[in-house]
Amino acid sequence: MKQRALWSAALVLGLALASGCGSATAPGSSGSSGDKLVVWDWKSGDANVAAYLDKAKADFAKSHPDTEVEFVAQPFDQYYTLLGAAIQSGKGPDVMLFNGGGQLRDRVDALVPLDEYVAQDKQRLAGWEAFTRDGKTYASPVTLQGHPLYYNKALYEQAGLDPEAPAKTWDDFVENCGAITGKTGAKCFGVGNKEGIGIQFFLSSVGSAVLAPQEYDDWIAGKRNWASPDVKRIFELWKQVNDAGLNNDGVNSTAMFNDAFAVFQSGKAAHIIGLMSDIGHWKDFAEFLDPDDVGVMAAPVVNPAATPSLPYDGGIGYAVAKWTKDPKVAADLVRSLTSSEALKAFYADAGAIASDTTIDVSAGGPAVTTITAGIKTGKPALHVALSSKTVDLMGRLSQQLLSGSITADEAVAQLAASDKAS
Amino acid sequence: MVAGAAGRRPGRPFSRRTRRGSRVERLAPFVLVAPAVLIIVVLRLWPLVLGVNFSFTGDGDRNGTSVGLDNYVTLFGDPLFRTALGNVGLLVLLLPVAVAIPGLLATLIYLRVPGHRVYRGVYFFPAVLSPVIVGAIFNLLLAYDGPLNAVLGGVGLGPVDWLGDPDVAIFAVVGVHVWATFGMALVVFLAGFAALDPSLLDAAKVDGASLPQTVWHVIIPGLSRTIQFVFVTTMIGMLTSMFGLLFVMTSGGPEASTYLPEYYIWVQQGQFNQPALASAASTALFLIMLVVGLAQIAVLRRAGREG
Repeated sequence: MKQRALWSAALVLGLALASGCGSATAPGSSGSSGDKLVVWDWKSGDANVAAYLDKAKADFAKSHPDTEVEFVAQPFDQYYTLLGAAIQSGKGPDVMLFNGGGQLRDRVDALVPLDEYVAQDKQRLAGWEAFTRDGKTYASPVTLQGHPLYYNKALYEQAGLDPEAPAKTWDDFVENCGAITGKTGAKCFGVGNKEGIGIQFFLSSVGSAVLAPQEYDDWIAGKRNWASPDVKRIFELWKQVNDAGLNNDGVNSTAMFNDAFAVFQSGKAAHIIGLMSDIGHWKDFAEFLDPDDVGVMAAPVVNPAATPSLPYDGGIGYAVAKWTKDPKVAADLVRSLTSSEALKAFYADAGAIASDTTIDVSAGGPAVTTITAGIKTGKPALHVALSSKTVDLMGRLSQQLLSGSITADEAVAQLAASDKAS
Repeated sequence: MVAGAAGRRPGRPFSRRTRRGSRVERLAPFVLVAPAVLIIVVLRLWPLVLGVNFSFTGDGDRNGTSVGLDNYVTLFGDPLFRTALGNVGLLVLLLPVAVAIPGLLATLIYLRVPGHRVYRGVYFFPAVLSPVIVGAIFNLLLAYDGPLNAVLGGVGLGPVDWLGDPDVAIFAVVGVHVWATFGMALVVFLAGFAALDPSLLDAAKVDGASLPQTVWHVIIPGLSRTIQFVFVTTMIGMLTSMFGLLFVMTSGGPEASTYLPEYYIWVQQGQFNQPALASAASTALFLIMLVVGLAQIAVLRRAGREG
C-alpha cells in the first residue's frame, strides 16, 4: 500500500515535471528577474560561436558589471514556434535572435524600436533594411546573408574556359555551361527545390540581372509590378533553365540544404547560387574544393538595362522584447553583441560575412574577398522583401512550373494576388 | 481502514463512528481518483477548451479580439487545408492495403513458411525506429539518383522522381509509413492467430481447401475482431503520427501534395505566426479524430459483446 502510494506520488511528480519541460516559458529560461537578461537564440550551443559570445559578454560587462546574461539555445526548427508561444503569453526572453525579413517583420508588435539606442552603429554595420519595418529599426544585424553566384574554377579550366573571366551575359553563360557539360559531364547549376528554396535563391540572384535598377528598387520599396514582363521573364527563365537540362536531375526532390550544395561541392555542377553566411557558403565549399577554385561571379546579364548586384540583407540580428524591464540595458546588450571585436570572432570561427564592414577579410580567400567587395554596391534580395506567405506560395508554384502543371503567367498572377493580400 | 476497524466491532456505541466511517468510505474513492482526474482536467481538458476558445480569436492585428468563425472560413477556403483533408480521405482509401499487408504476412508466419521465425523478428524491426531515422534512410533510397532508381534503370525502367512527383510522393510517404509501422499490427495479428481454433484449419486441410480458400473462409472470419481492431488503430496511427516522416521526407511538398492536417497546423503556427488559425485547424483535426475515436469505441464495444 505504502509502496503504491509512493509510486503514484512519483508518477504525479513526473507528469508535473514533464509538463513543465514541455512549456515554452519554462521557469528559469524566461522573465527578467532583477539584474538578469535572458537571450534566446539557436546558436549559442554551437562551439564555433563560443569566442563570439565571450567577446560580447566581456564588452557588455564593461558597462553593466552587475547584470547577468543568460543565453538559452533553442532548437532552430522549433524556434519561432516557441517564440510565438512566448509572445502570446507576453513574457519570455529580453533579447532574441531573429532571421531578417518576414520572420522579424511579422513579429514587430512584440519588439522595441531600437533607433534611438543604436544610432552610433548605423554607419559601421550593414544590413539594417532586413530588420526595419515602416521606417523603424527592430534589430541590429550580426551577419549578412545573401546569394552570391559561386562557380567551380577547376571545371572552367577543364572545359578550356578562362576561370578568371566568367561570362558577363546570359547567352555566353549558357554557352559556357554547354562547354563545361560537354567536357566534364558536370551540370550547369546545382539546385534544390524540395522545400521551395531553389526559386528564392534564383529569383534574388538572377533577378538583379533581369530587372532594371528602378524596377528593382520599386520592388524592394513594396511597389511590385507583377504584370511587368521582366518579372515574368524571371519565372520563365526558371523553367527554361530546367527544361534545357542545365540543372541537376530531380530538382523538386533535391533538398537545397544540403543535397544541392553537395552536388556543387562534389564537382557535379559548375555553378550554385549559395549563401554568404552560416552554411552553403565559401567556407563550406572550400572544405571540399580547393579554396582557390571557389569563385564568385556577378549574375550574367539577361536584360541589358539591368545592372547585376550582390543580393544581400541582414542575416541574423538581435532584437529587444517589449516586455523587458529596461529597454536601454537590453539595447546595450544588443550593441555588445554587434561590437566589432565580437563580430570579428563570429566571422573567423563561424564562417559568416559579419555585418561589420570594417573587418579585414583579405585572408579568407578569393571568394570572400569578391563577396565583401560587392557589399557596397549590393542591394536587398528580392525574395526577402516578400511576406513569408508569398514566399511559401512561390515555392509551391515554382515546383508546379518545373513539373509543367502551371504557366509562368498563372504563377505570376497568383503571386500578385498573394502579395497584394499580405 | 478506519471503516474496516469499525466494521469489525459492530454495536450501538459505535454507530456514530460507523456513520462517519461510511462517509469516509464514500469519499475515499473520490479522493483517490482526484489526482488522476485533476491531471486530466488541468493538463488535458482545460487546454483543449482554451484551444477551441482561442480558435475564435484573430491573429496579428486582431490578436485577442473575437472574430467568430472567420478562422474556420479562412481554413476551408485555403487550398492547402483542403489538400490536407483530401489526403486524409486518401489515407482512408489506402487503409485496407495497410491492414492487408501485416495480415497477409502474419498469415504466412502462422502457416510456418520456411524461415518464419526470422521473418517475425525482421518484420517487427522497423517499428522500433524513429520516423526521423526511417525518413532519412528512405530519403537516400528514394533520391532521384538513389539506389532504387539505379535498380529500375538496370532493368530498363525509367527513373521515377519518388519524392518530387506530386502524383507519386504521397504514395511513397504512405508506403514508407506502412513499412515502418506494420510490425505492430503484425504482432496484434499473431496474437489473434494464437486464439484461432487450429481444428478448423485441420478440418479445412482435410476437406482439401487450397491456401486462398483457407485464408478466405477460415482465417478471415476467425480473425474478424482482430481485423477490426487493427483497422482502427492503423487509421489513428496514419492520422496522428506521420508528421515526422512528412517533415523529413517531403516538407509537405512537392506542390503541397503531401500536406496532412498535422503538418498544416505546424506550418501555420511556426512558420506564419498564425496561432489562432492553427488552433482552428487543430480543432478541425480533433473533430476528425473524435469521429474516428468514437468509431473505435463502437467497434471495440461490439467486438467485446460478441466475445
